[in-house]
Amino acid sequence: MSTATTGLAVRRLVTLGIVLVLWEALVRFGVINPFYVPAPSKVSATLFELFAEGEIWTHVEATFGAALLGLLLGVVVGAALGTAAALLPSVGEILDPAMTVMNAVPRIILAPLFVIWFGIGIASKVAVTFVLIAVLFFFTVYSGIKEVDQRLVDRVRTLGGGRAVLLREVYLPAVTAWALSQLKVAVGFAFTGAVVGEFVASSRGLGYLLSFAQSTYNASLTLALLLVVIVFVFVLFALAAMLEKRLLRWR
Amino acid sequence: MLDVSGLTLSYGGGEPVLEGANLRVEPGQFVSLVGPSGSGKSSLLRAIIGLQQPSAGTVTLDLDRPDVGMLFQDDALLPWRTALDNVALGLRIRGKPRPRCRDEAEAWLGKLGLAGFAQRFPRALSGGQRKRVALAQVLALEPRLLLMDEPFAALDAIVRHRITQDLLDLVEGEKISVLLVTHDLEEALVLSDVVYLLGQGPRARIRQRYAISIPRPRDIMKARTNPSFAPLLERLWQDLSAEVDMVRRVA
Repeated sequence: MSTATTGLAVRRLVTLGIVLVLWEALVRFGVINPFYVPAPSKVSATLFELFAEGEIWTHVEATFGAALLGLLLGVVVGAALGTAAALLPSVGEILDPAMTVMNAVPRIILAPLFVIWFGIGIASKVAVTFVLIAVLFFFTVYSGIKEVDQRLVDRVRTLGGGRAVLLREVYLPAVTAWALSQLKVAVGFAFTGAVVGEFVASSRGLGYLLSFAQSTYNASLTLALLLVVIVFVFVLFALAAMLEKRLLRWR
Repeated sequence: MLDVSGLTLSYGGGEPVLEGANLRVEPGQFVSLVGPSGSGKSSLLRAIIGLQQPSAGTVTLDLDRPDVGMLFQDDALLPWRTALDNVALGLRIRGKPRPRCRDEAEAWLGKLGLAGFAQRFPRALSGGQRKRVALAQVLALEPRLLLMDEPFAALDAIVRHRITQDLLDLVEGEKISVLLVTHDLEEALVLSDVVYLLGQGPRARIRQRYAISIPRPRDIMKARTNPSFAPLLERLWQDLSAEVDMVRRVA
């Protein structure tokens, strides 16, 4: 790491430290009511308890499971439908307007319906995540294929390439590049879907815990849980970024 | 080798850009088609290689389609493939075994002065280097007829001079027939055995055919000092100016 970036990192950490110290002081001197905004020390203690008891893991597992399963299904189905719509005009005619409508509505409002259909277990959370991601990936792949560089298509055709070669050498890599750049957005969507699904009705998961913390006016637990969600999403973000960097070396 | 007869081209059934074009390329000949922008020069090449349907007329090739290579105006290589893989692409499409594609592609990169650049992605190459990769990609397939659409127009003067000379040496050495489309009269005269002059579009027609008898192999600097060069250039200029003036008067 260069001195410039180290310096920047240090300055950022110091700033964060100052904010935390200030926050702690304001609560201790009674300027801020700890009922609404508990001190950082209180939040850390709650966080520590959550992990010390070990009960948190079953909730993390539930949320992660729903988010990742929904993400996987959404990517696969969205990409398949996008490919079909882009390559087969008869499929595109139907799917394009349908997906445009789906894209326009805030799909999260489907969560209560999914609870009625699939129960309060993991299935309804996977379903919410799935609709969020599938529509996103439909458009990623659909427009990725349609807007592929025509010059590359012409070039490969004059070199003697047919449909299979075009798909392998031009369409697939072009769409992969698009899809990877959308993956980070998708990770955020996946957690939104899973947690909101748990808000609506559940017996497990970080969304369930958050909902519980809110109903008991436990601000400290709420903040601690938010921190947990943020850290986990960040880890997934970093993984997606690594994958992107590795696969898109040519950029 | 190539016989274009009565060729008419239009976009989407509108007014033809090019009308009733007749031209021939004999084996081993270097033929240029010179004309102003918008006279349908590029479309003519696209029609010959089958990327565009003519609205009338015929294109007769007395060789197999894979024996025709095309070098485009842009240098769009597959961005996700290295220089070597880009050159090997056409060979792989032909179904040659992988190690052989590699060796041949490497040899062609060497011939075009890019021996040390095989593993670079297009992004990391200069405009001239990308052009050389594109040229290697086409020449590796050992075409007997090479179609070129102003391939070096975007390069600066020195790079352009060197790459043009290298190309000329290669096509003279391998006895490749060439049909070059350009708006550069001097370039056309220096390189060609036959130059066709195309009028102003729309409804552009071929106006003149000139035979150039500068001896081969040619040096593109020395060819300009051949006694027949200056009078021919003047004639071409006058004919082209007359054509443009006539269109202006009509307008």
